Amino acid sequence: MRPDRIWAVARKDMSSARRHRYVLYGLVAIPLLFSLFIPLVSLYPVVTGEEPSENELPPFAQPGLSPRQAVVAGTIHLSLLMFLVLPAVIPSTIASYTFVGEKVNRQLEPLLATPLTDLELLLGKILGALVPSLLVTALSFAGFVITVDLLTHPLFGHPFLPDLLSLLVVGVYSPLVCLLSVSLCVLISSRVSDVRAAMQLGALSVLPALALYLLFAGGIVGMEGRTLLAFGLVLGLASAGLFSLARATFRREEILIRWR
Amino acid sequence: MSQQGISELPTRGREVIELEGLSREFDGRVAVEGLTFKVEEGEIFGLLGPNGAGKTTTVRMLCSLIRPTRGRARVCGHDVVKEAERVREVVGLLPENPGLYGELSAYENLEFHARLHGLPEGRRRENIERFLRMLDLWERRNDPVATFSRGMQQKLAIVRALLHEPEVLFLDEPTASLSPEAAGIVRDFILELKREGRTIFLCTHNLYEAERLCDRVAILSTRLLALGSPGELKRRFGSPRTEVHLERVTEELVEAVRGLGFVRGVEVEGEKLVVELEDPETQNPSLVEALVRRGGRVRYVTPSPHALEETYLRLVRGSEA
Repeated sequence: MRPDRIWAVARKDMSSARRHRYVLYGLVAIPLLFSLFIPLVSLYPVVTGEEPSENELPPFAQPGLSPRQAVVAGTIHLSLLMFLVLPAVIPSTIASYTFVGEKVNRQLEPLLATPLTDLELLLGKILGALVPSLLVTALSFAGFVITVDLLTHPLFGHPFLPDLLSLLVVGVYSPLVCLLSVSLCVLISSRVSDVRAAMQLGALSVLPALALYLLFAGGIVGMEGRTLLAFGLVLGLASAGLFSLARATFRREEILIRWR
Repeated sequence: MSQQGISELPTRGREVIELEGLSREFDGRVAVEGLTFKVEEGEIFGLLGPNGAGKTTTVRMLCSLIRPTRGRARVCGHDVVKEAERVREVVGLLPENPGLYGELSAYENLEFHARLHGLPEGRRRENIERFLRMLDLWERRNDPVATFSRGMQQKLAIVRALLHEPEVLFLDEPTASLSPEAAGIVRDFILELKREGRTIFLCTHNLYEAERLCDRVAILSTRLLALGSPGELKRRFGSPRTEVHLERVTEELVEAVRGLGFVRGVEVEGEKLVVELEDPETQNPSLVEALVRRGGRVRYVTPSPHALEETYLRLVRGSEA
């Protein structure tokens, strides 16, 4: 394994991706959306509105807090789950261009003719989608934390974020969702020859985040340690499984002969 | 990886590519069957064949991109299956499609590939500049490749294949879809590389190109149909032909030529007779004499330039039948 060559592939993919208009727009717009728009829209009315009654509390409300604090805390935690959507959408956009785009433009053969091993090439391409996605996620999260804390400081009297759940979502779940998304994109690339179709199929990797969101929002499961651990395990297994499948698909001979 | 400069390449003689019964099937369909031949260091070896003859499959096997179903091959002494990575270090490949990154500049494209080949920074910069200057692309090094013409892109793709100074260069249809002018520039560059001692494996269905560039050619149609220098193949498989350009071709002149004992066949093309002979050098004077005696006014006489094409077509059609 030669890290310098893996990094060369990743760097090239990042450089290529940021020169695609749609990818660049996404990379700029998404942090703004997540760090400003979502917290303002979801929290401002609750923070500045009338005190909700006990009957109005949503099913995910945490006990031990005032009704307003409970609604705000619950809304912040639900909004955090959006940070699982981010690492699903961005890598699938980048990877669609770098995998399907390269396949369609027949740019893979010269790459396969280099001394890179299949695994080095795959890791380089995964890294190329992963690094910008995680950077944008981290940047969006930082903006989100600042906006949320500015909005909610008068209510809680201390910065609400970052808390354990937010760090778990951004530090552990996000990279796993990222890996899942890119691996899915490799699998899609072997069958699809259209960048937009690949992006649409790649959006399937938002399903875990969506499922968790619905389970929490509906009060079916609570945001407690056991649930989060179980989700982390499922996510980890799904990412590992999809990565293994991607690795099996991403072989020189397969790419040259079977990828259509 | 080779660390030699172009001028330090060893002289011709060593066998750098060896194939022994090399075969490849795709889902039961035979793409290449039982190829056995050797390529010497410093030669331009042409692989000729129609579309679907197995040229690209052969190149891919020799560059360790796909595995043979049967048989074996060695490139610079390395087994293409067991030492695939090593093989990819010593070869350079220009695939049928240049596959450059249009959004990146020429320099970025080359630098990326040089990094993948593990070239140290100094040599990377030196080689990029040297090859770009050689092909008059240095001034355009910072322009996005998408703004380049097809010919410029092809030249850049050749530079990409050369950057790490491979011992063997595989060129798959290097002039396909190029304008005559661009194709000429690419051919001249290939000849320049040959003068520098580079071993070049050239896939083409352009017979003019093969005849002009190649020391030896193999004619392929799934299996090997013939192998030798263009001259040898013409002698072995084709009939020598002489073109006699006349002021006016008449029926009487055609009949007179047909009546000559040493003439194998005559075709009329406008005001030109294409005469198939056994030995043009000794028989051309008698042919011209016979025409003049019957009142023919000869403008000039040339050997037929299409001999390799005829050999090729004869062999390929024969294999299809």
